[in-house]
Amino acid sequence: MTGKTRTLVVAGHGMAGHRLVEELRTLDTAGAWRVVVLAEEPHAAYDRVALSSYLDGRSAAELGLPAPGLASDPRVELRLATAAASIDRAARTVTTTAGDTVGYDALVLATGSKPFVPPVPGHELTGCFTYRTLTDLDAIREAAVPGRPGVVIGGGLLGLEAANALRLLGMEPHVVELAPRLMPVQVDAAGGGVLGRRVEDRGLRVHCGVATASVQAGPDGRARAVVLADGTELEAAVVVFSAGVRPRDELAGPAGLDRGERGGFLVDGLCRTADERIWAVGECAAVSGRCYGLAAPGYRMAESVARQLCGLGGDPFGEADMSTRLKLLGVEVASFGDAHAGTDGALELSRLDEARGTYAKLVLGSDCRTLLGGILVGDAAAYGELQPFVGRALPSAGHRLLAAAG
Amino acid sequence: MSAGEVLVVGGGSAAHRFAERLHHHGHSGGVTLLGAEPAAPYHRVLLTSVLDGTLPPAALELPALPDGVRMRAGTTAVRIDRARRLVHADDGSVHRYDTLVLATGARPVLPRIPGLPRPGTSDAVTALRTLADAERVLRASPDARRTVVLGGGLLGVEAAAALARAGHEVALVHRGPHPLDRHLDADAGKLLAGRLAGLGVDVHCGREAAAYCAGKLTLDDGAVLAADTLLLCTGAVPETALARRAGLAVGTGVLVDGRLSTDDPRIHAIGDCAEHPGAAAGHLEPAWEQAESLARQLTGAGPRGAGYRGTRCVTRLRVPGIDLVRLGGRPAGAAGPGGGSGSGAGAGAGAGSAEGSAEGSAEGSAEVVTVADPARGRYARLTLHGQRVTDAVLLGLPRAIAALTRLHEHGLPVPAGRLEFLLGIEPAPPGADELPGDAVVCRCNNVTKHAITEACRAGAADVEQVAAATRATTGCGGCTSTVRKLCGMARTGGSTS
Ligand SMILES: Cc1cc2nc3c(=O)[nH]c(=O)nc-3n(C[C@H](O)[C@H](O)[C@H](O)COP(=O)(O)OP(=O)(O)OC[C@H]3O[C@@H](n4cnc5c(N)ncnc54)[C@H](O)[C@@H]3O)c2cc1C
Ligand SMILES: Cc1cc2nc3c(=O)[nH]c(=O)nc-3n(C[C@H](O)[C@H](O)[C@H](O)COP(=O)(O)OP(=O)(O)OC[C@H]3O[C@@H](n4cnc5c(N)ncnc54)[C@H](O)[C@@H]3O)c2cc1C
Repeated sequence: MTGKTRTLVVAGHGMAGHRLVEELRTLDTAGAWRVVVLAEEPHAAYDRVALSSYLDGRSAAELGLPAPGLASDPRVELRLATAAASIDRAARTVTTTAGDTVGYDALVLATGSKPFVPPVPGHELTGCFTYRTLTDLDAIREAAVPGRPGVVIGGGLLGLEAANALRLLGMEPHVVELAPRLMPVQVDAAGGGVLGRRVEDRGLRVHCGVATASVQAGPDGRARAVVLADGTELEAAVVVFSAGVRPRDELAGPAGLDRGERGGFLVDGLCRTADERIWAVGECAAVSGRCYGLAAPGYRMAESVARQLCGLGGDPFGEADMSTRLKLLGVEVASFGDAHAGTDGALELSRLDEARGTYAKLVLGSDCRTLLGGILVGDAAAYGELQPFVGRALPSAGHRLLAAAG
Repeated sequence: MSAGEVLVVGGGSAAHRFAERLHHHGHSGGVTLLGAEPAAPYHRVLLTSVLDGTLPPAALELPALPDGVRMRAGTTAVRIDRARRLVHADDGSVHRYDTLVLATGARPVLPRIPGLPRPGTSDAVTALRTLADAERVLRASPDARRTVVLGGGLLGVEAAAALARAGHEVALVHRGPHPLDRHLDADAGKLLAGRLAGLGVDVHCGREAAAYCAGKLTLDDGAVLAADTLLLCTGAVPETALARRAGLAVGTGVLVDGRLSTDDPRIHAIGDCAEHPGAAAGHLEPAWEQAESLARQLTGAGPRGAGYRGTRCVTRLRVPGIDLVRLGGRPAGAAGPGGGSGSGAGAGAGAGSAEGSAEGSAEGSAEVVTVADPARGRYARLTLHGQRVTDAVLLGLPRAIAALTRLHEHGLPVPAGRLEFLLGIEPAPPGADELPGDAVVCRCNNVTKHAITEACRAGAADVEQVAAATRATTGCGGCTSTVRKLCGMARTGGSTS
């Protein structure tokens, strides 16, 4: 391609922003784009999915996402610790927190999410943390007191990771969850039961079905205890809030960009805002109104937008797969497809094995053959063999899963 | 020891079977039955077939007793004189025994409802235990078509369905959250309630009767139900009055050991009135097995004379069109198939039962297998210990019910392919394990099987090299084993099968 190069500004260098830049670098063989990346965090993009390993011996450098040749790539300018502060759509410029103004031909918003902190009294006390960034983890490490209790508010996937982090730091972790079971989004009641027992065996104290009333300060003004709605008081040298996330869409209002009903930059299936020069990808994007809190959908959005920027057709974003597999406190958990049997006519088959501490559930379509989804707790080895078969006939791995052991 | 003169108090299922088996095994002494009911022994479990009109009352009569057995119907035993080994009856007769067998069954538990007439004094209000009870309903029935069944246990559900079949307008009132809540969890209970509604039964759960007045039943939420007939199915308890007065040890029922003896070695108890740690009271099968076991012991017959160890419990709902079975479970106190207010333990409260019982011991960890198929009205929940069922509920799965019941009764292991066994579905067909090329293997990076096999063909030899070429496995890592397998297959040129 000839003609002068155009400028792409990317706001956010997280997992989606990073994928966008890497994909564009691969696809833009003609050098049509110059890229300015504004990154609020002091680190270049890192593997947030593996964030917890930072407290388990992996360094920030090891967590960095691979970007071969980025540092010496003349097309890309990465400005760390510099956030986009405002957008002037008429002038097509972005003003940074450093006070500079950068003009753009295209702007991609990849600002991710911020943890939601429920406004309980005391939530802003010293000693209260969130769990999203390397900086958060540095602060938690600094504040941790081995041998003392720490309380995580929120028993979802991230809350359990945070609890494990406290354990790795030598603390006695408690988890408080409003729902009647842990990981209510990913697992059902029986699976949550197995998960709860297994993590309790590993020293985690679980308090489900109870709201958090307040965080109490000690004489030094720091958080000292968490008080639950039932009156229980849990001593806490450290409090970590992990009660969900909210898309970071604060740039939308002043710039006159639409937001989704539950927040996020409102975009269509091709991740386009109503302004033809502005896209949004990753957790901050409300694709047809819906935000996705996992890495994989963000990758697909980033790849689609990179293709559009290079004049290749983008992939319209349809249903996102919310499958998850992870290991929490040594307990494997996986949830895939229609895990809660929401499909019309679906049937559920499950097997709980107390001796092994495992639970497996499969959801089949009304033909009793088509695999629609499932939940695995305690042993997720079958995940790889089953998950690709979602929407297809149940493979023998599914039959084995529900058969007696041995 | 010879049994000598045998006297049986009771003329129900247990008594009838016992007399027949005693004769069969060659007892030579006399046998006398005292039965309070006016009728000859009849098949109590078929009473609901009289209610729905399928069988005339006379068809329930059991085969004639063997020659030489004396049956005094309409005679109630009122006192046992253990010192003299005599039983006094309400008609003034006195009966001597060498061996006394109590087979007095169970009696309905009646609720306390303000305004309720004493049962027996009105045809409009009755329990359902005897032929006389069923005949009372039939007698009133030509103009009494609006019927309320109180109690949603097995008996109440069966009776409600039977009356609906007979054309009554039936309301079923149950205090629990769903019918049969002692046996079914919420999912299955919802299914059953739906099936009953489909049969035309108006189901009111979570409600209690607050007052009765002249053909109207008021519920605790103020609702008023027209009740030309009010059928009380609120549980049953062992009939132990006679034993208690005689100073015999009584718990919920008359306590018996493996010889089916009470604490007086000359006095035995069998059937619904007896309490044995290995049997769930209120069921026909244990009553029959106890009758057989006692007859063998008293005549010294056969190898099974070793004593009674208990009966594996199978509870079947008798409603045409609804296949529902509960296997095992804790012997449910003494409550019979009523259940509305019975004393039984909660459903699913735990598997197995007292040690040494026929339910198998609950030692070790359980395995719980469930099937929930609300769209087709199918449900199963099996608790297994050592591959054997210790507790199970199945609904809408007639084949599995038949097969599993047989396995359970014989204490046999359940086949390892639980899915195939319960649903009758075929094992995965050959080729089902072969992933099609467009299947996404790495969801995190949206990499298809095709892309991975292409990478292998282009020279990627292991997972790392595939990852470098396609990014597969670099997200959550959940697909690593699949990618490794695909690499291996590409190397050997093989396929999965
Ligand atoms: C502990 C933990 C475990 C997780 N585990 C999993 C998992 O197992 N599987 C999974 O799929 N997902 C997991 N996730 C979620 C996953 O990390 C996110 O879905 C993914 O990071 C989203 O990518 P993103 O680029 O949209 O947002 P982010 O990765 O959050 O990146 C957004 C970046 O934008 C920056 N930013 C915000 N505003 C501005 C601005 N105005 N200007 C410049 N920069 C800005 C932010 O500081 C941030 O660096 C996990 C998350 C955490 C915290
Ligand atoms: C409608 C209905 C349906 C049922 N369905 C089933 C079923 O499907 N499956 C199942 O397993 N069970 C079922 N049962 C329970 C089953 O009927 C009993 O478990 C069985 O009848 C017990 O036999 P039994 O001889 O111990 O007691 P009963 O059959 O109750 O017989 C006891 C007899 O003793 C008499 N008697 C009591 N005291 C005295 C006394 N002092 N003197 C003289 N006579 C006395 C009573 O009048 C009665 O006739 C059902 C019960 C009912 C009412």
